[in-house]
Amino acid sequence: MSKTKKPREEPTSVLGRLLRGAYWYGAEWYWTVTGGILLVLIIAITIFAPVLSPYDPTVTVGGPFERPGGGQVVLLAPKGSGITGLQKGLKVATFYNTTASIVAEKMHLTARHYQVDKDLFAKVRAGEADAVLISARKAAEALKKNPDFVQVGKPFGPHFILGTDNLGRDILSRLIWGARAVLAVAILSALFSAAIGVPLGLLSGFFGGWFDRVLSLIMDSIYSFPGLILAIAVAAVLGTGVVNIAIAISVVYIPTYFRMTRSQVLSIKEELYVEAARALGAKRHEILGMYIFPNVISTLVVVFSLNVADAILTEAGLAFLGLGLQPPTPDWGFDLNKGKAYLPRGYWWPITFPGLMITLVALGFSLLGEGLGELLNPRLTEE
Amino acid sequence: MRSLGRYLLVRTLLTIPMIFVLVTLVFLILRVMPGDPVKSSIRPGAPQEYIDEIRHSLGLDKPLYVQYGEYLWDLLHLDLGTTLSPVRGQSVAKQIWDHFPATLELALAGMLVTALVGVGMGAYAAHHRRSAADYSLRLYAIIIYAIPVFWLGLMFQLVFGVWLGWFPIAGRISNLAAAPTHITGLYTVDSLLTGNWAAFKDSMMHLALPALTLGLYLSGVFVRLTRSNMLQVLKMDFITAARARGIPERTVVYRHALKNALIPIITMMGLQFALLLAGAVLTESTFSWPGLGRFLVERITYRDFPSIQGAVVVFALLVASVSLLVDILYALIDPRIRY
Repeated sequence: MSKTKKPREEPTSVLGRLLRGAYWYGAEWYWTVTGGILLVLIIAITIFAPVLSPYDPTVTVGGPFERPGGGQVVLLAPKGSGITGLQKGLKVATFYNTTASIVAEKMHLTARHYQVDKDLFAKVRAGEADAVLISARKAAEALKKNPDFVQVGKPFGPHFILGTDNLGRDILSRLIWGARAVLAVAILSALFSAAIGVPLGLLSGFFGGWFDRVLSLIMDSIYSFPGLILAIAVAAVLGTGVVNIAIAISVVYIPTYFRMTRSQVLSIKEELYVEAARALGAKRHEILGMYIFPNVISTLVVVFSLNVADAILTEAGLAFLGLGLQPPTPDWGFDLNKGKAYLPRGYWWPITFPGLMITLVALGFSLLGEGLGELLNPRLTEE
Repeated sequence: MRSLGRYLLVRTLLTIPMIFVLVTLVFLILRVMPGDPVKSSIRPGAPQEYIDEIRHSLGLDKPLYVQYGEYLWDLLHLDLGTTLSPVRGQSVAKQIWDHFPATLELALAGMLVTALVGVGMGAYAAHHRRSAADYSLRLYAIIIYAIPVFWLGLMFQLVFGVWLGWFPIAGRISNLAAAPTHITGLYTVDSLLTGNWAAFKDSMMHLALPALTLGLYLSGVFVRLTRSNMLQVLKMDFITAARARGIPERTVVYRHALKNALIPIITMMGLQFALLLAGAVLTESTFSWPGLGRFLVERITYRDFPSIQGAVVVFALLVASVSLLVDILYALIDPRIRY
C-alpha cells in the first residue's frame, strides 16, 4: 500500500513499527491497537470470570426478565406497625416468582407468595402477613395507591446490572462466563484446523505432483462449501460439547490454512535462499522446516487471527441454531436462541447484550488480523 | 485453441469432480464419522428391533462401500430418500423442492440489497480514497462482518417490528390462504404476475427485514471488493484519458470506472454465494422464513437423518452450479477469459 508520506528508513522490528505506528501506517494502526485492547479486555474477563461475575451464571437468582439495573427490593409496612426493618419472625407477602419472593427464600424469611393478580396490601391488612416485600421499582407507585403503608429501611437485595433472563439468571454473569466457552471453542477449533491445514499445505506445495492436485481439489471443494452448513452437518452427527463443536468448526477452516500455506510455499520455494540451501546440500525436510516454514509464520499469524473471528461467529451461529454447548454452560449464541422467543413481548435485554459481546470479540480478532496483516505484510491485504 | 465453446465444455467438465468431492464429503461426514445418527434420532430406551428396522430401512446395515455406491446411484437419479420423522415416508426431494422458492426469494432480495449498498459504498470509498468517508466505510465493512447475522436480524425485529411496528417479524405472508397462485413459488413475483396487489404488499412487507438483514451482512465484503477493484481500474490509462478529455470526475468514476470494475465483482458474487447461503440459513431461522435453511435446522431437531443429508447435498449442488453459472457468465461478458 503506497503511503502519502513514505519514510526513508522503516523500522524493521515489529515493535518498532507498532511504536511509530499511526504516523506512517494510518488508520490500520488504530485498528490493530483497538483490536488488541478489545482482546486484552476479553482475555482479562475470561481469566477473572470468577471474581468479576456477581452471580452464578447457571442458577436462578432473581425473578424472570428483571430489567437492567433492577433487582432491588424494599419492605413496605403499615403505618404505626412498629416494624423498623427485617427482623426475626417477620412474615412477608410477595408476588410469586419475582425477585422479591426469591430474596425472601434466600434470606430465610417467613414468606407467603401470591399470584400477580392478588393485592398484597389487602393480605397484610387482613393479617395474613406483617409487611410487603416488593421490587424497588414498583414501590413508589404501590405506596401512592396504599397511603396507609410506609417504606421501612433502604432497598436491599440483588442488583442486576444487565437484568435477568427468562429463568431469572443474571445476564451479566452469563456474559462473563460465556466468554470462556466461546473463546475455548474458537481457539481450539482454529488450532485444530491449523494443525491439519498447515502441514498438509506445506507438503502439498513443496512436493507438488498428483498428491498436490488431489489434495487441492478436495480442499477447494470444501472451501467452496458454505462453512456453517458443513459445521451443522458435522455437529449434527457428533453432538454437543466443547471438543465436538470445536471439531465441527475446524473441519470448515482446514482449507483456509491449507490454501494460504500452499500458496506461500509455492512462492517461497522459488526464492534464491532456498535454492542456495539446496545447492549447499540441505535435505528436503531441512529446507521445508528451516527455510520455508519460518517464512509462512507471519502470514499464519494474520490468518489465525482472522480465522478465530470466523470461528467465533460460526460457533455463535451453531449455538443459535441449537447445536452449541450443553445447556447449563453459558453460551452467548444459545442465550440468543432462548431470548428470541420473548422478543415479541419487548424483552430487549436478553437478546441485546449477548449479541453485542459476540460482535465485540469477533471484531477484536478481525481488527487485530486486518491491522497485523497491514503491518507485517503490506502486500497480503488488499489495496 | 481459444474458443468460447471449448471453455464452456472444459469448465462444465471441471464441475463434475467438484460435485463428486462435495457429495463424497457429505457421505463421509454423515455415515463414516463417529456418532450414530439413528441412535441419536430415537429416544433412549427404544427397543433394539426398532433401531434395527430403521437402520435396515436406511441401508445402514450394509457394508460401507455398498452404502456409498447406493448413495451415489440414488443421487444420480435425484432420489434423496424418504423422511424418518416427524412424519415417516415422505419424499425428501419433494420437501426440499417445496422449501426452495422461499430461500431463492430471500437470497435474490438479499443479493439486491447487497449489490445496491455494497457496490455503492465501495465505489464512493474508492472515489474519496483516504478521506474520512473512506476510512469509515472500510471500518463499516469490518464491523458489519463481525456482527452475527442472526443478531442483526433480531435487532431489526426489535426496532422495526416490535418497537416501531412497521414490519412483521416472522413468515412470508400474513395469511397462507391469501398466498398468490403458485407460478414460480416466489410470493412477490407470483403476486405481481397475477395482479394480486394485497398479497404483493403483504409479501414485500414480510420480505423487507430478512432481505435487509441478509443484504447488509454481505455488504461488507462487497464494499471491500468494489473498493479495491475500483482503485485498480482508476489507475488505468483509459481513465486518465477520460479525465484529460475533460469529462466530469463524477462521470469518470461512476460511469467509466464502475462499469469496468463490475465485471470482477460479478465473479465475486459467485464466490460469495456460499456465504449468502450460510447467512440465509441463519436469517431464515431468525425470521421463521420457511426456506431450505429452516428446513435443515428443523430436521436436525427431529434428527431426521435422510432430510439432513438431502438438504446438505442440495446446498452442495447449488454452490457448484452457481459457481459454474457465474464463470460461464463471466466468459460471455469478458472475451479475454478462455482456455
